[in-house]
Amino acid sequence: MRLAGRGYRRHFALALVSAALLSFQIALLQIVATSQWHHFAAFVISIALLGFGVAGTLLALARDWMVTRQDQLLPVLLCACAVALAGVLWLTRALFGGFDSLLLFVDPRELLRLVAVAWLLMLPFLCGALAIGLIFTAGTERIGSYYFANMLGSGFGCLLGLAGLSLLLPQQLPPLCALLTLAATGILLAGGHRCATHAGMLLGLVLAAAALLYPAQLPLSQYKDLSRILDLPGATIIAQHPAAAGQVHVVAAPGLRSAAGVSLNWSGPLPSTAAVFVNGDMVGSLPPEPGTDDPRDASTYALPYALDVPHAVLVLNAGTGTAVAQARALGAARVVAVESHGPLAEVLAASAPESFGRLLADPGVDWQTTAPRTWLARDRQSYDLVILPDVGGFGGNAGLFALHEQPLLTREALYQIWQKLTPQGMLAITAWVDYPVRNPARLMASLVEMLAAAGVSDPAAHIAAVRSWGTITFCIKRAPLTADEVERVRAFTARWAFDPALLPGLQTEERQTHNRLQDDTLFTLLDALFDERRTTFYNDYPFRIRPVSDDRPFFSQFLRWDRLGAMITLYGQRTLPFLESGLLVAGLAALVLVFLAALLILLPLTRLPSTGRHGWRTLLYFGGLGIGYMWTELALIHRFVFYLGQPVYAAALVMGVMLTCSAIGSALTGRLINLRPGRWTAVVAAALLLHALLLAPLLQATLSLPLPGRVTLALVALLPGAVVMGMPFPLGLRLLNCEQPAQVPWAWGINGCCSVVGAAMATLLAVEVGYSLLLVLAAGAYLVAVLSSVGRAAPARPQ
Amino acid sequence: MPNLSVLPHRVFALLLWIVLMPVCSSRAESDRATERMVMVTEQIVARGVKDPATLAAMRAVPRHRFVPRSQAASAYDDRPLPIGHGQTISQPFIVAYMTEIIRPGPGRKILEIGTGSGYQAAILAATGAEVYSIEIIPELASAAAVLLRELGYGSVQTKAADGYYGWAEQAPFDAIIVTAASEFVPPPLIEQLKEAGLMVIPVGSPFFVQTLMLVQKQGNAMTSANLMPVRFVPFRRAE
Repeated sequence: MRLAGRGYRRHFALALVSAALLSFQIALLQIVATSQWHHFAAFVISIALLGFGVAGTLLALARDWMVTRQDQLLPVLLCACAVALAGVLWLTRALFGGFDSLLLFVDPRELLRLVAVAWLLMLPFLCGALAIGLIFTAGTERIGSYYFANMLGSGFGCLLGLAGLSLLLPQQLPPLCALLTLAATGILLAGGHRCATHAGMLLGLVLAAAALLYPAQLPLSQYKDLSRILDLPGATIIAQHPAAAGQVHVVAAPGLRSAAGVSLNWSGPLPSTAAVFVNGDMVGSLPPEPGTDDPRDASTYALPYALDVPHAVLVLNAGTGTAVAQARALGAARVVAVESHGPLAEVLAASAPESFGRLLADPGVDWQTTAPRTWLARDRQSYDLVILPDVGGFGGNAGLFALHEQPLLTREALYQIWQKLTPQGMLAITAWVDYPVRNPARLMASLVEMLAAAGVSDPAAHIAAVRSWGTITFCIKRAPLTADEVERVRAFTARWAFDPALLPGLQTEERQTHNRLQDDTLFTLLDALFDERRTTFYNDYPFRIRPVSDDRPFFSQFLRWDRLGAMITLYGQRTLPFLESGLLVAGLAALVLVFLAALLILLPLTRLPSTGRHGWRTLLYFGGLGIGYMWTELALIHRFVFYLGQPVYAAALVMGVMLTCSAIGSALTGRLINLRPGRWTAVVAAALLLHALLLAPLLQATLSLPLPGRVTLALVALLPGAVVMGMPFPLGLRLLNCEQPAQVPWAWGINGCCSVVGAAMATLLAVEVGYSLLLVLAAGAYLVAVLSSVGRAAPARPQ
Repeated sequence: MPNLSVLPHRVFALLLWIVLMPVCSSRAESDRATERMVMVTEQIVARGVKDPATLAAMRAVPRHRFVPRSQAASAYDDRPLPIGHGQTISQPFIVAYMTEIIRPGPGRKILEIGTGSGYQAAILAATGAEVYSIEIIPELASAAAVLLRELGYGSVQTKAADGYYGWAEQAPFDAIIVTAASEFVPPPLIEQLKEAGLMVIPVGSPFFVQTLMLVQKQGNAMTSANLMPVRFVPFRRAE
């Protein structure tokens, strides 16, 4: 069959621009995570969808005019997309200096900047989506093959984005995407002579080349750790490395020191040491060079070594290796260090051979680059000491990490760790003390419930906790603490002016000898959580402190909506955001995008003439598809972050597979006869319900597979559902084109708007209800679409 | 030829302007002074700060001069404000609370680590204390020094240096305020604190709820106390 007129040129152009837009989206995820915080990922996805939605609206309003001029408009739109891609980061910074999410609750102008930045970032998506939409609208009889090209290109774009982040700086990816779009423009222009478009292409090429060869500095929030450290006199970036897992910076400055929580009795020096950042957030400092005093020995981190000298130590999320270095220095014969960020160890070894490189060369250290939960599932060794990463940030700051998955702090993870201890082994974990008490409380609840699940009848006999002026370290022993060990803890606390918080035989007055708290809430909670009736305290406490699970691994989400009024009364409206800012910032960004979606997508569509019969069916069908698809995609991304260990890998894999397989499904709709949209939508809903039931146990059971095996399994798990998910939209659009062609652009706009809403709401919903229920809700959205299509015939098969 | 008939009118207008301008200016000044009074009454006294020297200083020091122009309108609001370089000027209540804790006044020698905007240093100077202030970011240090002199707080000794080392030449100090939150207490600062001296340090990031840590030196022993200006209702275990 020969496609009339234009051959496959439009298909290639469609695939290229789709790839460019998806790559840009992947790049933006890391750009926004670096310049702001990672919980803006959903914000990025919503911006993309907003662009698509607005494009749908414009097409609806000017459909005939644009279709008539499609041959002229398409190259112009693609050219504009390329120029926007090449220049958007520079433009954002030049016009608005970026925006600072941390100032959203301090300076009302930041809200305007947020809207303006969202608008600017939307431009490439808008221009590209207009081109895509125009091709769809002008060729609905070939919607299946066009959708296939679109989805295939999008899938390729995910892979390209992932590869690009590993090789280039994140700000170099947008100009690369611009080059792809320019290639699409060139394909469409082949054989044509349009001076204006050629001039535009030249401009795009120049801008893209300049941005690629001379990448601009990313506009970081001034409150990001990296920004503040670079402001120190003499600060120098001694290493910088792109990585899909997060861009690494190593910074040295004469005034930069690290001695988190060191005792007030420490009189030794605190030498200057380089700091390490991933996506602009500080992940730690380099360990001290051999032969120098380690102030970490005068912090509560040294508590496990006061109890015993472990032979075999497991350090999870080893990061910059400070815990590894301490373990070796204090006598551990064998240390297994697990760190999921692949390039981190290589970068640190190259930039700091004396302090870090020696760890990799140390025969007593086994450095593993894998996700910690994967290691726990695969590893068969037992350990005398397992060290978990710190909980919370300096001073608490729990709220900022509310949307951060923490798979090592779930019930399931802690129990897994408990199983790996030798009979005298212990688990050590440190939290920064916060006020109101949240992190230590939830941690304590998690540890006690772990002990209960392990059949320990007297948890208090197994736990020693020591508190400094800022930190509290818990040591949980497999065997009950002996009298000798208890005395060693007391000696440790006396030496360094710490206070025991939990210890067999502890007297109340011992708890605040050196470091007084403002009230006894911490101790009341710690004691209460030993009680078997602790669920009562979970319900009574103003913050969420119930242990988290793999289905809802948001350890740092403490906000209780039912206590919001009381919190506002206590703290005042102005202070509340500073308690739980992560959730509230994400919520505010979601509201902004929903507002923009309603304003830019839905409102203009009210200018259209009457949409004819059954407009509500179109609204429910395409709206349900939009919300259902985004909730499915984001639920699966979150689920696979846990499985694969890295947010960017998970996002790229899920988006790539879903889009590519949806493309296949879409192409199949052109070849199969008598497909009723409602029936296939019902199949999608059923598939999602199956995922909700079976996916979590499947992933849990296969967590021990090596990465290629897990990726393969992910593909197999996602493929069938994703293929079917590609069918309802083109089937519905084809049917609509037969029955009510005037509603086609409106349908596309509805789908785009609801996709924006769905993406904006997805993470917030997952925090509240968990991933499994989010998938069930997605199935519900598809069911709404099914119900709206009851009684409708199958669309005619395309010629 | 000038139109002499309008000359009296113009002279009168000029005279009127000369007479009224100081009134208008003082009215502008007094407006901001009014805001300061309201700030002290509603944000500081209402939350329990009682020290007369602290309250007088909070009423006297023009906080709006220490914030960027873009933030001036919010200078007396009940919140911290950004001042650039990832720094903030603390919420007025926090400044007053920290000041009261260290009991400033004539004869007291106080070291401040983290000059920032210079506001805290000005407050301390306004109580009559002898103030030394260190700022590691040179731009902030020089801007604060100029502003403090301009506003009549030139007695504050400032320098651009690494605050970790304190100010050994002027030690010991009755009190040390570390306004830039840090994950550790620098040992040199502990050494430069007098016997029974007080050190106050905010714990946490400025835009989040901060606790304040009070460190006291008693012989060779150091003790710390966590203070929370906003008192959270203690959780009591139900019997």
